[in-house]
Amino acid sequence: MAINAHLINISKKIGVLSDPKNLTAKAKGHCQKIAATIKSFTLLGKFGLTVVTFFVLLAVFAPLITVHPYDLPSGPPLMAPGEGHLLGTDDLGIDIWAQLCRGAKISIIVGLGTALLAGLGGGLIGIISGYVGGILDKIIMRLIDIMLVIPDFPVMILLAAFLGPSLTNIIIVLALFSWVSSARIARSQILMLKEKTYIKSAVLYGAGTWYLMRKHFLPEIFPLIAVQMIRLTGRAIISEAGLSFLGLGDPTSKSWGLTIHYATSFKGIYYTDFWKWWLFYPWLFLMLMVVSLAFISRDLERIADPRLRKK
Amino acid sequence: MQHKSRMRIIEYAITIWVIITLNFLLPRLIPGDPFLVLSSQEAEDEEIILSEEQRQYLFEYYGLDQPIHKQYFVYMGELLRGNLGFSLYYKQPVSEIIISRLPWTVFMVISAVVLSTLIGTIIGCISAWHREKWVDKSLFLFMIFFSEIPSFLIGLILLFVFAAGLGLFPLAGAVTHFADFQSGWSRIWDVIHHAILPVTALTISHLGGTYLLGRNSMTTVLEKDYLRTAWAKGLSQSRIIFRHALKNALLPIVTRVFISLGSLVGGAILVENVFSYPGLGTLMRQSVRVHDYPVIQGIFLVVTILVLLANFLADLVYKKLDPRVSS
Repeated sequence: MAINAHLINISKKIGVLSDPKNLTAKAKGHCQKIAATIKSFTLLGKFGLTVVTFFVLLAVFAPLITVHPYDLPSGPPLMAPGEGHLLGTDDLGIDIWAQLCRGAKISIIVGLGTALLAGLGGGLIGIISGYVGGILDKIIMRLIDIMLVIPDFPVMILLAAFLGPSLTNIIIVLALFSWVSSARIARSQILMLKEKTYIKSAVLYGAGTWYLMRKHFLPEIFPLIAVQMIRLTGRAIISEAGLSFLGLGDPTSKSWGLTIHYATSFKGIYYTDFWKWWLFYPWLFLMLMVVSLAFISRDLERIADPRLRKK
Repeated sequence: MQHKSRMRIIEYAITIWVIITLNFLLPRLIPGDPFLVLSSQEAEDEEIILSEEQRQYLFEYYGLDQPIHKQYFVYMGELLRGNLGFSLYYKQPVSEIIISRLPWTVFMVISAVVLSTLIGTIIGCISAWHREKWVDKSLFLFMIFFSEIPSFLIGLILLFVFAAGLGLFPLAGAVTHFADFQSGWSRIWDVIHHAILPVTALTISHLGGTYLLGRNSMTTVLEKDYLRTAWAKGLSQSRIIFRHALKNALLPIVTRVFISLGSLVGGAILVENVFSYPGLGTLMRQSVRVHDYPVIQGIFLVVTILVLLANFLADLVYKKLDPRVSS
């Protein structure tokens, strides 16, 4: 839901704001479109949407639904789930439920931050590459080819190790390795659209670059990039968790991956029952989030891609 | 065609050059002094504080007082001789450390590739055969679900349920240390026993992709005319599927094996750390922990170039397998 609301916001900014008279009517149209989209989701997609909504609510209302602080001890260490501490405490006596609510926020920030940066940046590069063409297009295509064959996770480790652990750095590193897909999508769309008769006639009538972009290219490309951005969100959350699990995350962020990192670094974790709450719940949250985002993007891809729709 | 394959080689060469240069520039571009902190925050390591003379000596030793282009040529020259530098923490040449760890990672990745390709293809065939029936639908749901879970999360739950909880598998490592094996077989069994969980984790997370590809590619082939002929001849179901159809459905699967190596390596780095498997992934984490930059860079270089070579191989194999491309 929240992601959809977010999408409306962006599409409003791009398409609707230019025409304030029709704002409400257009917004209504968007709402109907979104409702129709959700209705055509598969069961898995609906499940995914519910879970993601739940996590977004968790992140937004974290201060209201948690009693204990997420960064300070609030009880005896390694307490099992029970009175006072819904999901128990870790080795420092910090409430796990509070940490996980905080983690939801971090995951969403990292995911959306990376997706916005990579999706919009990549989209822009793709549009320029496809529209301008020529030598610039060739250079960008070679760059994309290079990015595609480089295994991204080792590079991310290298960069994160050198840049130092901070949330902004992680978002930048992740975005550096995820813009390629959006760029390719935007470029291929532009190349395809440029050959369409209605675009050619628009050019003949004297449509300038900006007019073409605003009226013809962006409305066609944006939905595809938006779908890609949801997939990127999931990928970014996985990668952040992976980096944090290796100890390369922001030590102050309390992300889910970091909680898993601390739990697995605890010396006696294999021989005690502590993992049943300290490790299991962040694991569960992370898994649900990632899988749900994947389900949503799978459904959206099916709906947005007419080639797949026919099948 | 000749021209095209030459272009590919040049492209790969450029990619490798970009990676090597990135590897050279990164530590030099990042602000800060590599010798200012030769210690880590972890309690078990002693703090090493260098005096001004020692720092000067280290700067000269690593050639950091030279102009940057000179450093670059020296670096390239050393690299061509296979010299990846000297580890600050292990006090050993980086190449030696990497060579001692590499076989474990390669073993794990190759086992996972082979297993996931075999199992994924077989299940994909079964699914394609029962297309749109409940077998296909439930297999599809199941596979989609598992393919989206990152491998280290699968690894974690396997570790805690089967190794820590049930005690069926060892918790860490690749061999039992200080064990006195009666025969070669018990030694091999020991290695396999340690590898089962990490390889399973990688295989499961990788299975979904192969399955989907196998299913799609099989479905396309099954609609072809020559398979109707095979049916009409009265051949048995397994013969049609595995001899006639699979041969033609295999091509995209083979290329995928190589292309997916990059993401598999990323997964392997994490899975190794879950199981403390003594490959390059655990080495990388340890080096990150103690800020041993030469080792991190060495691993990065070796892993990336290996993946690139695999991709290059995929291009060649594809051309050999598909007569349409080579003609």
